[in-house]
This record gives sequence, structure tokens and C-alpha cells, in this order.
Amino acid sequence: MTPLLEIRDLSRTYRLKEGGKVHALEHVSLTLGRAETLAIVGESGCGKSTLANLTCRLDTPNTGEILLDGADITKLGPREMRAHRRKMQMIFQDPFASLDPRRTVGFAVGEPLIVNGLMCKGPELDETVAALFERVGLLREHMQQFPHQFSGGQRQRICIARALALKPELVIADESVSALDVSVQAQVINLMMELQEEMQLSYLFITHDLAVVERMAHRVAVMYLGQVVELGTRRAIFENPQHSYTKRLLDAAPIADPRQRRERSLLTGDIPSPVWADGEAPERVSMREVSDGHFVAIEH
Amino acid sequence: MSTPILSVKNLTVNFGGFTAVDDLSFNLYPGQKLAIVGESGSGKSVSALTIMQLVTLGTRAEIAEGEILFTKSDGSVIDLLKTSEADMRKIRGNDIAMIFQEPLTSLNPVFTTGDQVVEAVQLHQGLDRDAAQARALEMFERVRIPRPEKVLNDFPHQLSGGMRQRVMIAMALSCDPRVLIADEPTTALDVTIQAQILGLMRELQKDTGSAVMMITHDMGVVAEFADDIVVMRNSKLVEQGSVLDIFSKPQARYTQALLAAVPQLGSMTGEDNPRRFDLIEVPEDRK
Repeated sequence: MTPLLEIRDLSRTYRLKEGGKVHALEHVSLTLGRAETLAIVGESGCGKSTLANLTCRLDTPNTGEILLDGADITKLGPREMRAHRRKMQMIFQDPFASLDPRRTVGFAVGEPLIVNGLMCKGPELDETVAALFERVGLLREHMQQFPHQFSGGQRQRICIARALALKPELVIADESVSALDVSVQAQVINLMMELQEEMQLSYLFITHDLAVVERMAHRVAVMYLGQVVELGTRRAIFENPQHSYTKRLLDAAPIADPRQRRERSLLTGDIPSPVWADGEAPERVSMREVSDGHFVAIEH
Repeated sequence: MSTPILSVKNLTVNFGGFTAVDDLSFNLYPGQKLAIVGESGSGKSVSALTIMQLVTLGTRAEIAEGEILFTKSDGSVIDLLKTSEADMRKIRGNDIAMIFQEPLTSLNPVFTTGDQVVEAVQLHQGLDRDAAQARALEMFERVRIPRPEKVLNDFPHQLSGGMRQRVMIAMALSCDPRVLIADEPTTALDVTIQAQILGLMRELQKDTGSAVMMITHDMGVVAEFADDIVVMRNSKLVEQGSVLDIFSKPQARYTQALLAAVPQLGSMTGEDNPRRFDLIEVPEDRK
């Protein structure tokens, strides 16, 4: 069976005014199956958001292919892209910035249906939007209100309802729960997991929070400086990490249990810069398969 | 137990008709690492700003009730709420120092990091410029800034987030404060950098013996760092106790709900599939 999403050898560099290039993404290859959550984890500047933006074609890669349902979407024009874009939707980090403050939230959720020519304004649209509101745990009465009248968690529910309006197959969630308070975060994660089961959604879940990943991902890709350094099932990554950077990340993540307090290293390592002079590039890593589906970059 | 270095008693702070801190009482003892924990809007940051007497500057905040007793190094006890601004200036930075969440906005962009630490040391400790320079360099070494002589001459924008937070910590500790208030000091940092900063704070606290009051929403950070916890919700204290007690047998329903919602690294070991949180409902008690 073809995977829903297949990313092959994707690279993206950004030219700097002062010379040199940011190598944001370097030869990344990934697959995402149906009804599966693939978590992309890494720290600032590792390329995880670039990967999200390329996947939904908000940005165009230098090289590589993105196959959605088997079709390469990197070479499509805007018109052809529209049909594919319906299959994938995004949920962003900041629910305050991703809703238009002057439109009712009911309009925000219904707009994708109008834009895509699936429905016109009227009772049918209202009913569809109301059903979406109820599905994400909001009330029908909320539809007439404006974004500022909602809390952060409610706004993220509205963004989820909007993403679901077109019945997508793929949802790209870029730090979607990171800005939420912990009790609200847990509710939104539960909601996303319920929706996945119900609608067979696939999530490309981008985050820096390993504890959240452990809870909700089926598979995990660890990124470092634009490259995937380890890829495997959640259990493989968390219970049998192989790459030194994966181990470092896991060691650094705070554990919410005072009985497991660990001594911290007092090292001062900052993450190296992804900026390279013209003509230079990071060395391309090769992966080896340590067990079925568990790939690790070979370290020198 | 010894006398508290800081004792907050029945503190109530209003913003117009809104009560941001409601009848809050807790003690901070010398050498204690206390975490004030709560979600957005619980009143934790307002409490910290009130201790520093920064909350009424340019806001509508009004301290309706309470006292904040601070034991000075000579043993005398003063109420910070009744202390004049001139006297507060001598206490802030010197006896009680603060670290904020976003080091880039707390550092002055037009001065080098060294100048900013030197200024604090000169003002509070009365050292001459050369001695203050030496002190700044010593502090930078202590917070393990690599190539400290160079970083002294760097501007804040030239440094990474982790390095900026090290500069902030160096500045805060430069006058040997007896109380350090850290408001979400690692929230804006990447996880490997966060681990370094937490380790550093723990070690420096052990060396200096100062009391640390850490404000955070991150239960992972609390579990790593604190001895004791004050849990706040909707402006009120919900529960307080030792970190081990609160994590192993939380009494208040809200604390139970909060802990049930925290993803705990390692809790899924041996499980093949993702699992939802078993959440506990807590009724809103705010009118």
C-alpha cells in the first residue's frame, strides 16, 4: 500500500544577504502512513518547521519530492495544487495569531468550504459548521462570537474545527499544543487522538516536547541541523535510542517525577549554526537500519 | 525550623475589579528551593512582582491587603510593602534578585553584557570599575560562559538564548543576593539548553546557599529543581508541601487534575500504541 505521504530526499537552503546559506533541510526522506502520527522532534533551527512548510507547499524545496497519495506535489501549479491542498490542513502554534480578529469564529470554520466551492452560505453550511463545533467540544452558540472572546484552548479547538472542515487526510500540526496550559494541552491532545481514530487522520506532529511525543506518536523522526538523525517507532526511539543526539535530547528532557531526579551535566554546548559559506555544505549522513524500520545516521 | 527569609502573609492584589492574588500566604526559608506552580492567570507572576514591589509601577494594580516580611542580613525584619522606593532600590538586585523568562527583553540592547553586570556591581557593592570588571569576569566564569573575556564585550543580540540567560543569572548573582526570584527562567529555551541552565542554577544555589523562588508552569522543571511547591489556581493558593508529597499524594483535587494532565516521560514504556490522558474534571470556582 502506498503511504499517504512520502518525502524523498528533500532539501531547502535559504540564501543570506551577508553571504552564505542556511541549510535548513538536508536530504530528508520520510513516510507517513494512514491514521498514523509521525512526530518530528528537534530543537530550534533543526528544520522541523521548514519541513512542515514545504510539505503543505507554503514554501518550495530546492530538490526532492513530496508524494501525497502517490502524486508528486512539488511541481504543481497553484490551480492543480488546490485540489491536493484540500487533503491536507495545518494547525499552527499560536491560536491567537491564526484567527482573523474581525471575523466570527463560525465564519473562520466555514470559510474553507466556501473557498473550495463545496458549499455556499446558508443553512447547510451553518449546520456543517455547528456539527464541527460540537465535535471539537464547543457549543453551537459560540459560532457567532469573535476570537478574542475565547481562551487559548478554545481557540485551538476552533483551529482544529477549521482544519477538519474539508475532511483532510493529513493534518500538519506545528507545535500545536506547545502554547497551551498543561491541563488544556492534555484535553486538546485527547481530542486530536479521538479525531484520528474516528476520521483516520494522519498527523505530521512537529514539536520539541518529548513527553507529548511519547504519549501520542506512532513513529518518531529526530532532526538535528536539517537532517534526520534517527527514525523509528516510538518505542524504538524512546526505549532503544541509538544516535548520540537522540540520547542527549532524552537525557535533557525534564521528568515530571521528583523521585527520578538526575544529576545534570553542566556542559555549555550550544547547537552549531546551520549557516554554511557558499560552496560548502554539511556532510551528508548515511543511515543504517538497526532493526525493522529503525534507522540511525552513522556517526563518525 | 529557622526564621523565614521571606514571609508573604495574606497578600491580596487587585487590578481594578479583578483580584489577581487572593489571600496568599507562604514562607521562603534560607537555602530553600521553592516553586510557585500554576497555569496562566493563576497569579504566580503577580505574586513575584509584588514581592519586588514592581507590580504597581505603571499599572492599575493595588495591594489591598497583606504584608511581605523580609529578614535583612543584620537580622532585622521589614515589611517590603511599607518600604520606600529609595530603600527598595537598595534591596532589589542586592538582597533580592530576579531572573525573567525572556533574557533578550531583560537585557539592554545598547550596552555590552559586561557593562550591564559591571553597572549592577558598582551600584550595589560600591566597587570601583576595575574591581567590578573583575567581578563580572568571575561571575561569567562561574556560570560557565565559554570565552568569558570575549562575551563581556558582546552585545545581547550576539548571544544565543542560553548564553543570554547565563548572563542574566551572572548579573542576578553578582551581588550575592539572599533571595533569587526566577520567573519561568527556562521556558524560552531549548530542552538541552534548559537542562544546562537548571543544572547550573542547582549548583550555584548549593554553593551560595541563597533561597530560590522559581515561578513556572512546567511540572517537569519543578520535579527536577524544587524542594517545596506552592500550587496556585485562579489567584488562590490551592496546596503547598514538599515536592515528593505533592507529586506522590496530591490532596487538592486541582493538583490531582494538574498532575494527571502532565505527560510524563517514561510513562509509556512497554506500550505499543499511543494512549490518551485519563483526565480529572475540576469545577471552575471563579465567580
